[in-house]
Amino acid sequence: MDWPVADLDPVRRLRVLAAGVPGARVAERILPDPFELVWEVAGDLEREFGTFEPDMRRLRIVADDGGGRLVAEARSKYGMRARFDVDLRPGWCWMQSRFLLVGLAATAVPEGTLVAQTGGIRVPGRSALVPLGVRTAGEKALARLAARVAERAR
Amino acid sequence: MSAAALVVAAQRGDTMAMNDLLRELTPYLGRICGPIALDSGQDAVQEALIAVFRNLPALREPDALYGWARAIAVREAVRIARRDNRVGPAEPGDLPSRQDVEGAVDIRDVLERLTPEHRAVLVLRDVEGLDEATAARLLAVPVGTVKSRLARARLSFRKAWQS
Repeated sequence: MDWPVADLDPVRRLRVLAAGVPGARVAERILPDPFELVWEVAGDLEREFGTFEPDMRRLRIVADDGGGRLVAEARSKYGMRARFDVDLRPGWCWMQSRFLLVGLAATAVPEGTLVAQTGGIRVPGRSALVPLGVRTAGEKALARLAARVAERAR
Repeated sequence: MSAAALVVAAQRGDTMAMNDLLRELTPYLGRICGPIALDSGQDAVQEALIAVFRNLPALREPDALYGWARAIAVREAVRIARRDNRVGPAEPGDLPSRQDVEGAVDIRDVLERLTPEHRAVLVLRDVEGLDEATAARLLAVPVGTVKSRLARARLSFRKAWQS
């Protein structure tokens, strides 16, 4: 006998985690493109991430456990380096360094793909973000992602 | 890392531990919220997990995680089911016996005949394996009410089921 089981899509999961991070805001946007195309761009850390995420110029994967957990080295536009722990799966990317947090999620919807972003500068020693400009930064990142996906779709 | 260790790490500000804890808890809460909230199951799991993560810093005993999260999930699933007005009978119906539930061809059909509160008792009893007294306590319902309802339930549910 099968009892009904409820699941959570990646965007809902992002809302949940952001709710547990004081100062975090979630930006959301619907892209008209199919999930596969959107995630081909959004989930490409080394080649695409720096094109839409703020303060990420170059990102290089330095360790991969094969199960979705990665370690990446990032360089910001100011030249600073950071080491990120990353959880990367289809529709899901959650990464933190000592100073930064980035979360990105995507799920297929009838109109295309719903994407969501959260992140910002971490408050040292706490699961909290400095609440300055986080919403605007998220919206800008998703607008740039939309443009990148549209370029690919052409 | 154990769930309790993930709680401790998450409470210290490690959001990767929060990420892992979310992965750990989602299937468990999905099994609780699904049968109670039915079509609103995803909303119920989301709201339950939001409450879990907002209140995680206040959880003093990490080993109590599952029982604590279960209580939150039941409460949120009943609230969301009521909010979305997917309430079965206008009058609280009688609870089917464990045998009736196990013998049911379509458990969803059984659940749709019940109020969210009754579905919650059923989930706690038949999915979580709690006795009725514990389930009633968790739901803040008088034990006597649940027990008498259960006692009356068996015959009337079978009648309804066979009609």
